[in-house]
Amino acid sequence: MGRELTTGDFDKLFELQTQRLGEAHFLVMYWAAQGEDLACRYNITNTFDDMKRLGITRTKQTAVAIVEALAALCFIEIREERNRKNIFITTYGAKALEALVLSGRFVPRASGYLEEHAKT
Amino acid sequence: MTIGIGGAGSKIAAKLDNGAVLVNVSETELNKVPGGGRRILASVHAARGQFKGSRMNPEIGHDAYQSIRRELLDMARGDMVFSSTGGGTGNGITTGILNDLTKANDIATADKTSFGLILPYAKLESSEFVNNTIEFLTEPLAAAIDSGNTGNIFLFSNKKKFEEKVSEEHYNQQLVESLRMFLAIPEKNDKYRLLDGHIDHEDFALFMSKPYFNHFTYFDYDPKKPFGDQLDASSNPYLLEPEAAIEALFLLEVPKGGDPTLFYDILQYFASKDVSPIYSVVENPDRQKPLVTVSLLYSRKPAELVDDFNRISEGHAQAKVKKSLDQWVELEKMEVNLEKEARRAVKQRGEGEEVLATLRRLGKL
Repeated sequence: MGRELTTGDFDKLFELQTQRLGEAHFLVMYWAAQGEDLACRYNITNTFDDMKRLGITRTKQTAVAIVEALAALCFIEIREERNRKNIFITTYGAKALEALVLSGRFVPRASGYLEEHAKT
Repeated sequence: MTIGIGGAGSKIAAKLDNGAVLVNVSETELNKVPGGGRRILASVHAARGQFKGSRMNPEIGHDAYQSIRRELLDMARGDMVFSSTGGGTGNGITTGILNDLTKANDIATADKTSFGLILPYAKLESSEFVNNTIEFLTEPLAAAIDSGNTGNIFLFSNKKKFEEKVSEEHYNQQLVESLRMFLAIPEKNDKYRLLDGHIDHEDFALFMSKPYFNHFTYFDYDPKKPFGDQLDASSNPYLLEPEAAIEALFLLEVPKGGDPTLFYDILQYFASKDVSPIYSVVENPDRQKPLVTVSLLYSRKPAELVDDFNRISEGHAQAKVKKSLDQWVELEKMEVNLEKEARRAVKQRGEGEEVLATLRRLGKL
């Protein structure tokens, strides 16, 4: 049997996972949090549209892969609601987003969808 | 021909020989030297012109040597090269020459290069000079001596200059005048009436082609006192002290009508040391007293020479360590909370602060 994992190991794992996130992951978590804050459902299609607009990707597959990766890490939760896959940031995701903000690696960029929603 | 390399070497070469070839890596330094003949600027990679020296870094001098290698080796054949061992240019370029001579096969007697090396006064000169000298003596010079491919090596010492606080100009002048006395031996043989023995230009060139250290000196010879005592008391202050001689040469100048047999005592002295010198006795009408010019060839391995410099270098290093320990100040321990600092930075940048505020509003932080 291997040794039991300590709190230090989990911290290290979290640090490594966060370090490997890219700008697209950062933005998805940020937009998900912003959507929740605006009481607006933010889904995978919105993610793809925003990424396409910002020139991050041109394929939905990539957008889906990014979202799924975040979900696999438990940084976001995907809920099937009315035939839409809505995205919600988890408390782990919030911690990861906070770490990315503090590291200064990425700068928040606006979501077109959420900006439109805020105007209405 | 005489070749002067670097600042110190060029100054001496130019004083000795109006046609001396002067070499440097800095145009400014090259133009500063009065006298001498042709000037050669060795190339270094410099974006804004070559106006800086080697900054005590022999690597720079050695790199620059590659640009003048062929020309310099050709010129150095059968000539005398002056250089300091402490500075970057002299040390670096002369290292290149010595390395090439070490690798050469069968250099003819007439083609051997003599070296006038100016050693730093370790007690007072910079530790970089001393350390460069140690490397120079232990590596290129030692190898060149072992190869037997150099001529005489004159080890000039800055000791007298520093101990007696003599200006560089005056010191160099004295050093050159002293050297001229030695180099004039064959001319004096031509010029004055020969009383005994003979040292012609070929004899002198053969003596100069031997790969040993040369310590020469001259003094008024008092035949009533033992020659050895007078020799010991009159060593050349511009050169390092000699070791036991392997070979010797002397010129005795006696006044007009002077005793032409005085040289026998000198020969006896050398015989007691198992040395058979080449010599000549001339009548110099300008002299009031007999004057003897003596040259001793000795072989002091650079490793032993280096010991002296090592001792000083070690002293320098210890002093530096002691000083840094004395100056060591205990710094107050600063407690830095990295997360706090990062938050402060985010606030300052403005970006991201809004993200964190959102997360807090959602109760997720």
